[in-house]
Amino acid sequence: MQLRSHTTAGLWFVLPAMLVVVALLLYPVLSSIFFSFTNRNLLKTVYAFVGAQNFLSVLNSRDFWNAFFTSIKWTAGSVLGQLVVGLLAALALERVPRFSGLYRTLLVIPWAFPAIVIAFSWRWILNDVYGFLPNLLSAFRITNGNVSFLADPQLVFAVALAINIWFGAPLFMINILAALKTVPRDQYEAAMIDGANLGQRFWYITVPHVRRVIGLLLILRTIWVFNNFELLFLITGGGPAGLTTTLPIHAYRTGWGLRQLGMASAITVLLLIFLLVAAALAFKLVSRWERTPAR
Amino acid sequence: MTRLLMNLRSYTVPYAFLSVLAVLAAFPLFWIVLSSIKSTPELANDPLSLWPSQPTLDHYRRVLFELGALTNLGNSLVISLSTTLLTIAISAPAAYGIVRFYPRVGQRLTQLLISTYMFPPILLAVPYTIIMISLGLSNTYFGLVLAYLSFSIPYAVWMLTAFYQTVPLEIEEAAYVDGAGRFRTFLSVASPIVLPGLVATAIYTFINAFNEFLFALLFINTSERMPIAVALYSLGGSEVLDWGAMMAASVVVVVPSIVFFLFIQKYIAAGLAEGSVK
Repeated sequence: MQLRSHTTAGLWFVLPAMLVVVALLLYPVLSSIFFSFTNRNLLKTVYAFVGAQNFLSVLNSRDFWNAFFTSIKWTAGSVLGQLVVGLLAALALERVPRFSGLYRTLLVIPWAFPAIVIAFSWRWILNDVYGFLPNLLSAFRITNGNVSFLADPQLVFAVALAINIWFGAPLFMINILAALKTVPRDQYEAAMIDGANLGQRFWYITVPHVRRVIGLLLILRTIWVFNNFELLFLITGGGPAGLTTTLPIHAYRTGWGLRQLGMASAITVLLLIFLLVAAALAFKLVSRWERTPAR
Repeated sequence: MTRLLMNLRSYTVPYAFLSVLAVLAAFPLFWIVLSSIKSTPELANDPLSLWPSQPTLDHYRRVLFELGALTNLGNSLVISLSTTLLTIAISAPAAYGIVRFYPRVGQRLTQLLISTYMFPPILLAVPYTIIMISLGLSNTYFGLVLAYLSFSIPYAVWMLTAFYQTVPLEIEEAAYVDGAGRFRTFLSVASPIVLPGLVATAIYTFINAFNEFLFALLFINTSERMPIAVALYSLGGSEVLDWGAMMAASVVVVVPSIVFFLFIQKYIAAGLAEGSVK
């Protein structure tokens, strides 16, 4: 009796959140799967079942595969770049004796930028007529005339990648920094007495303490970057010539540009399936790290 | 002396590295602030000047009052505040309930909840569009706020369970024995203890709602109701770009965001690091 009233009381606390999850997440996802088998159009309420036709035409379309591989390149490049820069910055911050608070504050600034301001500020800095960087490079005769960083097919992807690394590295930095603080000092001292060099100390003491946080960050950021629509959309619009069109941008164009919501659903459902499989594998790996804890 | 020199040398590399990164990290902020107070002719004629010859607030006046950004900022404020209040009102009891009443299933439940993080916003956008059309919620604040709850609530519940877990059970039992009901115990005993966590979660929710772009782009289609991020986007799509106004608007949007982030960064880092201590 006691136990039962306990659980009933608890229900009132969690019920509203559960309703939100069912109504705003579960139901829409199921409904997306449903619509991916229809020819639903943005402007018409009448639709028909088309079986697996959307999936077949998506999987046979060049645009889809181009967007898919662009997404993979974009995500892998961004997240690995963010990890490398964030990790090095965290290690440097941990090492310096003074001003680390000041540096940390300066380094965390990009993370506070909303996507629209990231896009505006970099499009302005890189503007081929009035921008600071192209004019600077011209003035020092490093380039012959102003480079258009965001219109040049050779450069645009790398430049967008650099902007995303600029934006995301601080999150890696502050989280890795917090994990570095948990490494017991005396382990380093003991290792130094035993004659371990810097590389060995890093590999055998630092890495085991931070790898779980890094693993989680990698998973979370991979999902986020893979799903993110606005950053690239606002910086490049997916162009030039579709060179920076990722899956979310491709789905947006299909659903709201071409008004084929059914087809767009098929694209996003494939996107979700890919993510679920990738994440399941990644979580398996990280949980293995958890079972062999840092000593 | 030699020791000092050795120290200097061993710190040179990290300091140099950090300094380069700091310049890269801070330059865009410096540059948009600077550009926002340069006159339009100076923006066009002297793209490399590092100081305005005649500082002006013209761009701010134009973007806020003539281009209607003030209205859009107001819209953003209403939308983000509503999202934040609803999120906390729903998530705090849920997090508390999970910790106190369902400690075992609760762990699985929050894991399940946070895995919804994997749902691509663009996937949710299709059914939301259809639902909003059929319920007449297109182009309303309410529709947009509902859409925002889909990502803010799972995250807030996840973050808040970690905080409510730190509340000692004894304190609550004392209040309970004194005759406070379950809800009063939650509201006036447990919640004040986790107030910093509630504030951090609220700020995080607010910033995310304030900065959100995709749903706002899809669901709001008149400029009087647009939140600032989408209004700025349409400003950036005009034939002749008014870079001065765009920079002034960017500064107005980014500065509060930076202040908030500096305030909550330690809470965000604490969430992931806590697990690594165990």
